[in-house]
Amino acid sequence: MAGIEGIAAVGGAGIGSGSGIGGGGGGVSVSEASQQQQQQQGTSRVAVVERLNPAVQQQLNLDSVRTRAISLFKAISRILDDFDAIARTNAVPKWQDILGQFSMVNLELFNIVEDIKKVSKAFVVHPKNVNAENAAILPVMLSSKLLPEMEMEDNSKREQLLLGMQNLPLSLQIDKLKNRIDMIGAACESAEKVIADTRKAYFGTRQGPTLLPTIDKVQAAKIQEQENLLRHAVNHGEGLRIPVEQRQITSSLPVHLVDILGDGAQTFTDSSGMYMKSTPPLASSNTSSQGAMLQASGAPHMGRAAASPSAASSTSFDHTTTSPLPYANSPRSGASMMNTPSPQQQSHQQQQQQQQQQQRQKMMQLPQHQQQLLAQQQFRQSSLPGLGQNQQGQLHDLQGQSQQKFQALHGQHQMQFSQPLGAQQFQGRQLTSGAIQHGLGQSQLNQGSQLNRHLNQFSNPANTALFSAAQNTPTTQMIPNMSAMMPSQPLMPRMQFGMSGGSRTLTSQNLSDQIFSSWNCKHACQL
Amino acid sequence: MECVVQGIIETQHVEALEILLQGLCGVHRERLRIHELCLKSCPNLGLVSSEVRLLCDLEQSEPTWTVRQVGGAMRGAGAEQISVLVRNTVESKISKDALRLFYALGYRLDHELLRVGFAFHFQRGAQITVTVSSINKMLKLHSTDEAVPVTPGIQLVEVTAPASSENYSEVVAAVSSFCEYLAPLLHLSKPGISTGVVPTAAAAAASLMSDGGGATL
Repeated sequence: MAGIEGIAAVGGAGIGSGSGIGGGGGGVSVSEASQQQQQQQGTSRVAVVERLNPAVQQQLNLDSVRTRAISLFKAISRILDDFDAIARTNAVPKWQDILGQFSMVNLELFNIVEDIKKVSKAFVVHPKNVNAENAAILPVMLSSKLLPEMEMEDNSKREQLLLGMQNLPLSLQIDKLKNRIDMIGAACESAEKVIADTRKAYFGTRQGPTLLPTIDKVQAAKIQEQENLLRHAVNHGEGLRIPVEQRQITSSLPVHLVDILGDGAQTFTDSSGMYMKSTPPLASSNTSSQGAMLQASGAPHMGRAAASPSAASSTSFDHTTTSPLPYANSPRSGASMMNTPSPQQQSHQQQQQQQQQQQRQKMMQLPQHQQQLLAQQQFRQSSLPGLGQNQQGQLHDLQGQSQQKFQALHGQHQMQFSQPLGAQQFQGRQLTSGAIQHGLGQSQLNQGSQLNRHLNQFSNPANTALFSAAQNTPTTQMIPNMSAMMPSQPLMPRMQFGMSGGSRTLTSQNLSDQIFSSWNCKHACQL
Repeated sequence: MECVVQGIIETQHVEALEILLQGLCGVHRERLRIHELCLKSCPNLGLVSSEVRLLCDLEQSEPTWTVRQVGGAMRGAGAEQISVLVRNTVESKISKDALRLFYALGYRLDHELLRVGFAFHFQRGAQITVTVSSINKMLKLHSTDEAVPVTPGIQLVEVTAPASSENYSEVVAAVSSFCEYLAPLLHLSKPGISTGVVPTAAAAAASLMSDGGGATL
């Protein structure tokens, strides 16, 4: 305030000191600064005859600066008044708002100072005091004199440029500078040329056909080989076929196949439909062993077994009560397992209730043609839903020959044909394999007159002989076993159903003869 | 009837192909996971053994089954000139008892494979389906969870479109023109004719990937 150094300096100092809120003097100093500005401008105008350069004047825009300074002053004074009011009422000030207002004021001040600084270079009065001696030169200085710092900057740059040349005569200096300029120009041109060339080359080769990548022969051959593999695999299935021996059902089928193929999905091999070899012992009637048991080689049989998994296993011997299984009397049910289960076996089999297993095993043990017929019959009959209970393989071996056949064919079968399978031996002997469930108990036969009807359908003398033999067996033997094995499954309905099924399937006498010539009458009865 | 072409693509370029297909088809891709069982009838059931394919779509929550019988291809001079294979097919949705049915009929499992990939279904002159999948084989029977690719580095691309005997020429034209758009990445041909890979596929894939890097498919 002592000396007028310049509008910017004064303005900056004044306003800078006025930027603190809470300082009562701040507002005053701002007003002083603005007043000083005005005074400054006034004195400058008074002292200088010439007008300021109109462009500079416009750029400086003194009017706007004044307006802004005044508004800033008003804002600050308002804030101060608020502070006074708060202090008087002893209220708690909202610091958030106050800080916001402060930041606004601060920003406005900053902007004003910046704007002034921008144009301060145009007219800065270097001599701080205007007096007589420098009054004459003030206009010239006002128009051309630089600020001290600006002057310093200018000088330093000039020194840098004319480094080492200041002692030389002026013309040499000029020449050297020209050379320098030329050199720089040349360098720029060469750089531009290099860039242009590189660009051309880059884009040119990208689009040109000369740079096609080629696959070397080795790689091409490999790819060709892989391609052939893939195409043949997809179109013809080459490379995807699993040999018969390796076709084993894994322990867990994928979800979408579980309920289709059931436990013990079959292996559908290319065998010509011979006996399916069940690897697990027939005694193992656990569901887990079903899969193993079904590792058969007879694809058709397996197919049939799959087709009606429960149909064959319907050979439950529930002749006692109404059986919920309508297929208990399916013709296939007793086809192969003609062994009369022994009491021990019966109880053992009671624990084993896997319809499909038993059915399939039964299928496996059948001779091929029998199995085919069986499959046909099975196919016609719908699959039995819940033959779990009926799967005690009470297959009565009504024919010694069938038994022998089985024994011969299925060495692995642990069918317990130990007991002589005579007609006398309807003891409920059960094949340990679950598949033996198909046979109806002899007692079952005894229980139904319909059975007799069934039997009468088939002219097989052996069947009738066996059947009569079965009938001769004391039922007391059977019935307890039966009841134990099949708690509450009636035979009659099943028999009826089986009968109908049998009548359907065995329309031709040849068929029936074929079946029952080799099978025991048990099987026939179940029809 | 259907028109079909097949091609191969290296697995590394599958993503670029997906981007290209997404742009061409305008639809989103659908995941593909099909267990294909090929059943053959034994010779004594007919004059020749016939083949039936059962396709189980594992991608749905409830597996759906389709039965498909692929017939002979169109023959003749006209067929030679067409770059697309036109063949008779019978296809139908079927219940899950299909497998049991065919087993009971005497069919036996010949081979099975698992296709894993994606497919695009769209309309472009004809109802076209493009599937890009890796063909997997199962070492153990029906073990779809343990399937391994037949060719790990190469996947199969199939472009199919249903046709009838009246309109098959239009369908063929539509499929051929669509296949030309895929030329930068792969060659397509009739099944049975090997094509090899496209030498510049890598460059094309790179440009597709760089441009479409921001696109989320």
